[in-house]
Amino acid sequence: MSSSSSDVLLPVDSSIKPPVFLHLGDTEPLSGVCVLDVTLPFGKTVNVEEISFKNHYTASVSMRLLRTGPPSQWVTAVRDLPLMENPHTEGGSQDYCCIHRTQMQVDPDHVISVRLILKQPSSTWRSFSLDDIRILPHKQQDPEKEVSDWLSDLTLADQHTDLEGLPPPQSVSSSLQQMFALTEVMMQSNETTASIGRFHVDGCYDINLLSLL
Amino acid sequence: MADKEKRRSGAAPPGMPDGKATKSDCDREFLSQAGVGELLRGAILKMVEARSDDPIGFLADHFCNLASVTEPGTAGCGDADQMNNGPQSAQEQQHLNRALWHLRLAHHSQRSAFSNNVCVAYDLLNSTGPRRRAAEVPECPEGSCNDSQTEVGGGVRGGLYTQTLQCLCSEGGVPASTSAPLLRRLHCQDHEAVPYDVFRHGVLTCAVFSDYIRQAQRLYAEVCCPDEGPASRALGMAVLGTLREALETSQGSEANCCVNANTKSNSCLEANVKAKRYLEASAKISPYKLGQAMATAQTRGPGGDMDAKEFENAAAELFITRVKVLS
Repeated sequence: MSSSSSDVLLPVDSSIKPPVFLHLGDTEPLSGVCVLDVTLPFGKTVNVEEISFKNHYTASVSMRLLRTGPPSQWVTAVRDLPLMENPHTEGGSQDYCCIHRTQMQVDPDHVISVRLILKQPSSTWRSFSLDDIRILPHKQQDPEKEVSDWLSDLTLADQHTDLEGLPPPQSVSSSLQQMFALTEVMMQSNETTASIGRFHVDGCYDINLLSLL
Repeated sequence: MADKEKRRSGAAPPGMPDGKATKSDCDREFLSQAGVGELLRGAILKMVEARSDDPIGFLADHFCNLASVTEPGTAGCGDADQMNNGPQSAQEQQHLNRALWHLRLAHHSQRSAFSNNVCVAYDLLNSTGPRRRAAEVPECPEGSCNDSQTEVGGGVRGGLYTQTLQCLCSEGGVPASTSAPLLRRLHCQDHEAVPYDVFRHGVLTCAVFSDYIRQAQRLYAEVCCPDEGPASRALGMAVLGTLREALETSQGSEANCCVNANTKSNSCLEANVKAKRYLEASAKISPYKLGQAMATAQTRGPGGDMDAKEFENAAAELFITRVKVLS
């Protein structure tokens, strides 16, 4: 998207709980599924623009969002997005990834919490996770401040301030404009003027003369 | 009447079919001897340039001027002593008057006409010096400026130049106290020789300044609502404040506009920046902004009144601080 948004946005403050590895029953062996919860500061909701992270040997990721609004419920935003081409090999295992809101199946607005479900079926990689998870909030585009600020002021001609007892701004403005133009004419002439050379003394800085000292 | 004369002359010598031709030939010869064609052409050209409201008065002035050229011009030729006597000889005074007359012909907004007149005036004033050429003719606007400069000694005498500026200001309706700070920036010492560029700049600045002061006086009349006495200080300051802001904006980032090798090649970019600055500056003196400023001033500004003189001086200061000091 446009570069201006990334300059201005800062990732949302979020706390990432330590990953929870799921397993069936009492068995110790790793099941290859891990859940990461990313919670936002209490009471705050986010319209997510994108989520970025660094992969660490995760084969695929699903994302669920808890949205507010009665009733608050979990929705699946991303289902089994592959991060590694082949779970057994290195490809994509340490990539930086970014999931934009347009890639999500639902609109990630008014989100309270994000749950990432990591899957790694291969026994090659025993520990896997996502690092450096950042959530960038969605912001409305600001209109360009440069030119339009005062230009839009000019078009507010209909908003009459209370002008009781004041001289008519139209005629005062036109007088001021003429004075402004006259001053500009003078300043342009300023720039093209030669100097009279008042403080020049011919030959004073001649190298030959200096050598006589 | 002319027809009758023609018919009479035609009828009288019937054997001479060239009668009419001879008569008009005589006329033509007489006119060309007197140089009337040139005179009239010059007068008409001057009139077209000046476009004065009073053509008859203008023509009368013009021929009066020419008359004063030819009379003492021949008389003062051999009078070398007269020029050295006293600070302002009669001849210098006359040159000054004529130069001022030329400068008055065209308004400074008529660029080419004004430039021509300045050139003529410069030549006139330049010629006033110990080595004056006898055959000097004033009306040579095309390219003689530089020639006479090298011939006669480098420029107009500083005192004469300063006097020209003073006269221009006073004729333009600017009181001496108001124009004094301007003249301090522009004046030259008596012993200095003023080159053409400096002369032109000084003259143009004074002409523009007179217009500016007249405009400021009109502005005061508008701001003040005359039947209610002098204008409120708050209002006057607010109005001048918007002008000051606009001027500062248009000159604004002069410091930021760094002149390094990279920006020089981006003349298009520079032009855009300049255009944007001008737009921004003029937005500040738009009626809407002014209305706002005046409304704010009325409620929150300093108390008291501001008389015409003070307003004029404040406005003049805005102008004068931006005039480059001559050096």
